[in-house]
Amino acid sequence: MRVRSRLAQAAGLLMLVASTMQAQDLASFEKKTTVRKLANGLTVIIMERPEAPVFSYATVVNSGSSQEVAGITGLAHMFEHMAFKGNDVIGTKDWKSEQAAMAKIEEAYAAYDRERHREVGRDDANVAQLEKAWRDSIAAADKFVVTDEFTKVAERNGAVGLNAFTAHDITAYFFSLPSNRLELWAYLESERYRQPFLREFYKERDVVMEERRMRVESSPFGRLLEQFISAAFIAHPYGLRGIGHMSDLQSFSATDAKEFFKVHYVPSNMVIALVGDVKTSEAMPLIEKYFGRLPKAPAPPALRTVEPQQKSERTVILRESAQPMYMEGYHRPASTDPDDAIYSVMEMLMSSGRTSRLYKSLVRDKKIAVQASGFNGFPGEKYPNLFTFLIVPTAGNTATAMSEPLRAEIDRLKNEDVPADELASVKTRVKAGLLRQLDSNAGLALQLAQYQTLHGDWRELFREVDDIDKVTAADVRRVANATFVDSNRTVGMIERQAPAAQGAKGDSK
Amino acid sequence: MRSMIRIAGAAALAVASMASPLLAQVKHPREIKTPALRQVRVPQPKRVQLDNGMVFLLMEDHELPIIRGTARIRGGGRDVGAAKAGLTGILGSSWRTGGTESRTGDQLDEFLESRAAIVETGASDDSTSVSLNVLKADFDTIFPIFLDLLRNPAFRQEKIDLAKTQANTGISRRNDEPGAIATREAIKLGFGPDSPYARQPEYATIASITRDDLLALHKRFVHPNNIILGMVGDFDAAQMEQKLRTAFGSWARGPQAPPPVATVNPSKAGIYYVGREDVNQSSIQLVHGGTMRNNPDYPAIQVLNDILNTDRLFAKIRTEQGLAYMVGGGVGSDWDHPGLFRVQVGTKSGTTMQAIESVRTELAALHSAPFTAEEVLRARESILNAHIFTMDSRAKVLTQMVNLEFYGYPADWYQRYPSLIDKVTPADVARVAKQYVTPDKVALLVVGKEKDFDKPLSGLGTVTPIDVTIPELNAAPSAKPAAPAANSAEGLALLKKVQDFVGGKAKIDAVQSVRTVASATRKTPQGPMDVEIESLTQYPERYRAVVKMPMGEMTMVVTPDASFMSLPGMGVRDLPASQRDNFRADAKSEILTVLKYPERYTFAVSGTEKNARVLEITADAETVRWHVDPASGRVLRKISRGRGPMAQGDQITEYTEWKSFGGIQFPTAASVTSNGEQVGSTQVKSVEVNAAVDNKQFERPAA
Repeated sequence: MRVRSRLAQAAGLLMLVASTMQAQDLASFEKKTTVRKLANGLTVIIMERPEAPVFSYATVVNSGSSQEVAGITGLAHMFEHMAFKGNDVIGTKDWKSEQAAMAKIEEAYAAYDRERHREVGRDDANVAQLEKAWRDSIAAADKFVVTDEFTKVAERNGAVGLNAFTAHDITAYFFSLPSNRLELWAYLESERYRQPFLREFYKERDVVMEERRMRVESSPFGRLLEQFISAAFIAHPYGLRGIGHMSDLQSFSATDAKEFFKVHYVPSNMVIALVGDVKTSEAMPLIEKYFGRLPKAPAPPALRTVEPQQKSERTVILRESAQPMYMEGYHRPASTDPDDAIYSVMEMLMSSGRTSRLYKSLVRDKKIAVQASGFNGFPGEKYPNLFTFLIVPTAGNTATAMSEPLRAEIDRLKNEDVPADELASVKTRVKAGLLRQLDSNAGLALQLAQYQTLHGDWRELFREVDDIDKVTAADVRRVANATFVDSNRTVGMIERQAPAAQGAKGDSK
Repeated sequence: MRSMIRIAGAAALAVASMASPLLAQVKHPREIKTPALRQVRVPQPKRVQLDNGMVFLLMEDHELPIIRGTARIRGGGRDVGAAKAGLTGILGSSWRTGGTESRTGDQLDEFLESRAAIVETGASDDSTSVSLNVLKADFDTIFPIFLDLLRNPAFRQEKIDLAKTQANTGISRRNDEPGAIATREAIKLGFGPDSPYARQPEYATIASITRDDLLALHKRFVHPNNIILGMVGDFDAAQMEQKLRTAFGSWARGPQAPPPVATVNPSKAGIYYVGREDVNQSSIQLVHGGTMRNNPDYPAIQVLNDILNTDRLFAKIRTEQGLAYMVGGGVGSDWDHPGLFRVQVGTKSGTTMQAIESVRTELAALHSAPFTAEEVLRARESILNAHIFTMDSRAKVLTQMVNLEFYGYPADWYQRYPSLIDKVTPADVARVAKQYVTPDKVALLVVGKEKDFDKPLSGLGTVTPIDVTIPELNAAPSAKPAAPAANSAEGLALLKKVQDFVGGKAKIDAVQSVRTVASATRKTPQGPMDVEIESLTQYPERYRAVVKMPMGEMTMVVTPDASFMSLPGMGVRDLPASQRDNFRADAKSEILTVLKYPERYTFAVSGTEKNARVLEITADAETVRWHVDPASGRVLRKISRGRGPMAQGDQITEYTEWKSFGGIQFPTAASVTSNGEQVGSTQVKSVEVNAAVDNKQFERPAA
């Protein structure tokens, strides 16, 4: 067998991979995809994939927790919960009466909230009375509620994966249905955005508080993340976790939510993607009929605040009875930056698979970590964000001990050219990775809607693979040297703290 | 001047767009027509069985140029004894990382990843697996590697060691998240702690695993008659069959894998508690035995579970009361052994009891309140209309078929299911609710911070605390010098010097009991805690301590017959085994105990440190060291092994003051450091030698 240089081998593989992917390249996807912008500004993407008689959709709103301000942190996430409450027909016994009762709740709450937050001269007896009046008004409105009717309607029609998520950048709503439920879907989904329906708002606030306790307050790792981002971002909302501050969760109102909805839940700020057993010629008119009803409104103003350049290295240390954890974050530009592909390559080099730098060095050779990775887009990607390293030390190692070996690998990126075969391997895996994502309606719907929202074009899902293909070793060194700088670094860790010595009897013996 | 035509056009458009909302009247959802669902023939894999028993299930899928396959091999974690718990986990990772004879794992990594090819191994309770995921063009290059790995793993020692390091780290982290503790302990309660389905790897079991164990496991299970190979992707089924026959046809049969293990001895019903200081939310689980999928009641049980979740637990506890974010559960049906009934809920500490009451009310209502026709209809429709999603991709269908084959279920099990669901009536649901949800069998587990609960847990009944302390690995004998088998002359001489300092052997022997009152400070995660301790020791081995803490008074008693404690608001309960053992081990090295009963120990001198002679005192394979001032015989400090859940290495007790009471020297001030940090200090306020002892003080009070 002829001996070929590794480079030629790698090049040959690339070509082979490229040719097998022709059937699934951008051109073939463009053939089955239609994009339409409705008169009211809503963008609709339909991709036909008639494999099985089902379809999935994703609605992505281009607003998330980054759009919050002090006093209403956690509010964006509330809509995730409100989206399952129904409308004037589903979830209520009598909308007119319920609506009036809900208006009374807001009046009672405003009075109560104003009084309880009074800093000087607060009358606690009055506060208690106002609280009771507020709770009574809720009980009165509850009488009109048909519990969880939206979810039941969706589920009895075969909905699966009924869910939503709120991120810093976007809020997404999605589920899948049998394909003969297209019109029902169009009704249910468009009704969510026609106007805000905020029934059981204050109860869901309590549910969200439990979610915060679960994800953040009672979880060592959750606590670390919250402290870490607050140190890394001093101005931009990326410094706050989307779940919100407990004091805001205890305070914001349905009236606040209505205002937020009016600004952000407008068709010009939304993208809907449908993937599956749908015929564009039938689906698009249906979507226009139902979603065309959403009133046109200007897109919300862009976020003003830009995180200033970090000029100091920052460290947060949590001393807990939990096992150690180590994180480092370095500021990087938004994902729309031309260098984004280079950051993606760095992520793959550092963390993808057992041939990755961090696995080889920290997990395999030094055996000081069970998991070591670097990743982009934390806590979001729309705005300048962090390239973040997360290391889980092996038992008996401290978090601090992770720093030197990590820096050694970072220095390699800065000081050495990435070997050609390593770069080629990354590019091969990126291409195959895209291919492996294309066999799921739900996955595709979410990807298409996200890319359309964050990059302005769903095709970016394919094009970024081409951009990654063009990245050179010199590119990696340039970006690594610009990014991994001491003054650009935030460190977060959990160190294990030994609590009191055991034994109830005195240790004087 | 603007064109009149353009203005007219714009006006027309404006009118049209204003008109459309009025024209597009949407129907009430009830009126929206649902056309019949497009019928599709669900593709079936091609089944091939070789003479040697191996089964192939082959599913063509030409949408993407990818081929995926998994060899599922009978035999898993449940077939490994308790002494080697965690063996299949080590197998699952080192099978792949340990490489084959011809390629090391690292070489495989480079070869595979540069081609974006994935070959992995795994293990579960009932099976192990080797899988591949490759681009079609690479299949012929990668398949031989898959074969080689399946049949000839090298299990290189360095990768076994790596897997063990990772397993041990997993063990050390298993108590970090309260939800994980709750799930794990609930499963133990439901199946019983000795059940193979509840077993946890421990440091000791991981340490005992050898390369021979892995090779033996491979030899025991990996035979063609134990394997189902499922493949899906861009291939021609007939051609793939030929390739696989060539690859596997000549492989000889081997011993059959063992039949499924039945579950063993579930825990008693009751109330169980795991205390956590650093949480403000309780993780609550209710558990008892479940059933199997091949139970004819399975369809009715699925309807019951749907109603239990949607109409009862979620609706009442989350939506209507806002008590929880996470709430749900139901009757579990495993494939080849009985599963678990399990319900979980998470709520803030201050509504723990309220949430428990709510769940209990809902479970009781399953028996007392009838199921409405509407509820049952909705649940049936939800299951039926979502059924298409069990078969909406070829890969999914293949996975279903592999499962049916593996567990010996009929090949049309999924096809039959909708018609069975369609027949379920409210009476059926009521019957299965009575039979499979039995509140008086429930083990209720709470992981949380009881002092913040709305009401004490003991209000529900006797509470059994669960000690989740991770059992430590005893130091390997090679790590420390072997403990002396006999006393050394030097050791006995130094012992006598200490005895003389304390008061002389005769006076020491005359001590029957000692009562001390001390104030102490202990470091806790919440900051330093001041306590008052009144302790009573009746020699040789009865101890009682009353500890006054800021949150209340705790009493602890340890005698050869019993060990128990009482905590504020929690009544009297047995001391957890590990705490009792730790206490006894500490008590054994107490100064006066050693001096009174030297025959129970061996003594040796190991040198000098910081101007003190080091006296090594060994009993039960454990050594404690006293640093003794050679001139006076005074004990300056004690070095002992730190104990308890947070112990890290050695603990140093510095005796900074000695005073005489009744002719006997006692240490009256001490400071304890661990890992270089001070963790506590004690100041003795009074010592009474040979005070009268009331036997009742060591007896367990009536509950």
